[in-house]
Amino acid sequence: MSKVFGILLLSLVAGGCATTGDVTAFKDASDTSKLQESEGRLWHEARGFDTTIERSGQIYEDGRATAYLQGVMDRLYPEFKGKIHVHLYDSTQLNAFALPNGSIYFNIGLLARIGNEAQLAAVLGHEAAHFIEKHSFRQRVSAKNASAFAVSGIPFASLAAVSSISGFSRDLESEADMKGYARLVKAGYDPHEAHKAFEQLAKEVKALGIEELYFFSSHPKLVERIDAFKELAAKQKSGGRVGMEDYNQVVQPIRVEALRKDLGQDRYKSVILVMEDTNLRRYYPAAGYYYLGEAYIRRDEKNDSQKALQAFQTAEKLAPKFAPTYKSLGMHYMKAGNKGTAREYFNKYLTLASKDAGDRAYVQQYISSLK
Amino acid sequence: MMKKIFALPMLLALVGGCAPMPYWTLTDNDNRVLKSSSFEMSVPAGWTRTTTADTFEQIKVDEKPQTLLLEQVAASRDGLSIHAITVTRRYPDTAFPTIKKKSRANMLPLEAADLYVSELRKRYGLERLRVVSNKPAQINGKPGFELVMEFKNDDGLRIRIVSNGFVDKTGFYTINYRAPVLYFYDRDYNDYAKLVRSFRQSKGAFDPPPEIPGWAKLFT
Repeated sequence: MSKVFGILLLSLVAGGCATTGDVTAFKDASDTSKLQESEGRLWHEARGFDTTIERSGQIYEDGRATAYLQGVMDRLYPEFKGKIHVHLYDSTQLNAFALPNGSIYFNIGLLARIGNEAQLAAVLGHEAAHFIEKHSFRQRVSAKNASAFAVSGIPFASLAAVSSISGFSRDLESEADMKGYARLVKAGYDPHEAHKAFEQLAKEVKALGIEELYFFSSHPKLVERIDAFKELAAKQKSGGRVGMEDYNQVVQPIRVEALRKDLGQDRYKSVILVMEDTNLRRYYPAAGYYYLGEAYIRRDEKNDSQKALQAFQTAEKLAPKFAPTYKSLGMHYMKAGNKGTAREYFNKYLTLASKDAGDRAYVQQYISSLK
Repeated sequence: MMKKIFALPMLLALVGGCAPMPYWTLTDNDNRVLKSSSFEMSVPAGWTRTTTADTFEQIKVDEKPQTLLLEQVAASRDGLSIHAITVTRRYPDTAFPTIKKKSRANMLPLEAADLYVSELRKRYGLERLRVVSNKPAQINGKPGFELVMEFKNDDGLRIRIVSNGFVDKTGFYTINYRAPVLYFYDRDYNDYAKLVRSFRQSKGAFDPPPEIPGWAKLFT
């Protein structure tokens, strides 16, 4: 009797774990209209997630940058044009994720850290592969995940569990790497750029001790991934499109915005890490030194006040029309008791800052108090 | 029998006497003072207000739960889920708890306002809090700030928060009003402004901080 029960139990367990075999990848855009019922439900959930993101203001509105990213995606997967939609996601966390319905979300924080179009294509290629290979659906039909959904009461948690928001299994991530990489090469991008984006991210994860949900999941997996990309690239000839100039033209304003947002969310360590790194700093406009100065003030460690002053002075020299630097210099000299210099800087701020600058009234008050 | 009849009202009186004061009360012309040991102010008639101040809160700092001392009172006309006025005093060492910054008596109002915005952006749902305006203000004769901020909730409803705050040697004080921009914010802003004008610090503000109750620490 116990044997019969044991066999029954074993068959149930085995059955629950072996249901992903009949899921076939999309071949082209027309395939996406032939969904199984349960897959359709997954798409419905994903559309709900899209709607929530859009109406709650989580989309970063930059038409030019969004069109640029979409263009790179269409170059990678021309047969899916109109079915894969790239959105900019208003978050400075280093992340990108794909939903089962072909929506790809790319965080502006990650966009700011990447150096060129080939590196961007490596990330986009990977995320789109999750959609085309139906990784969400494959993950959902496994019994293991089905039971996880039952206990979850978090909105969209079930979707998160089967989308790249929280990462896929190692096998599925590797498959997305391989498929994405093949597309990168086919689209004519320089394959030797692919690992560089991940190297920078790995460095940042380590330096900042990031434990949050993160692009391609945890640090050790990221290191394995870098090695895999290096091995693949070693078999390829050098050359191909890098697209540094085009990329930087589009992304430059987003980089400054990402620094501003990082500082506004007290992620000063991230600002310091970027702006102290000569490799990364070259991608950022000179106004970045202002944010570096503000980040030192936030950190408030030994000698940070002096470091902040130096950063502000560099910003003043390299970006003389960037108004916020003068307010910070004014505040520095006001605190140091140098009233005359403080007044000069505050007046310069008022001259350069826009008429509706939020902190004009404070600066006017400071000038009055310094007379 | 007589004894039993006598005992019953006695018991009721005792039980009634021991019953805790309701946490919320409806304000009228004789019942408008919203107070804590550190401050007090006048709530417009027709609002509900808390009768006692909360003295601690549990928050997550770096994903770890912590119990922090504070003083907090609240008032609302239509219900907390719709709109609310919240008045909070935080102690200097835990003035900006999630970003782990202390307040200093000589902190400039602009510095305090910037730190407060960063602090709020660490809270769930407020990551994309947008500053609409930030200007100097006077609260109880002390230099402070008036911040107006906005965010969209998951339903796409624009919620506005106006915050008047100041820092002194006893800590960081904020008087916040949160309401949907649609209909509610403008309707009750004047009531909020009156409440801000009536804000006064009490002598208790200068007492040493109390201990966190032992049972409250069980949560951390």
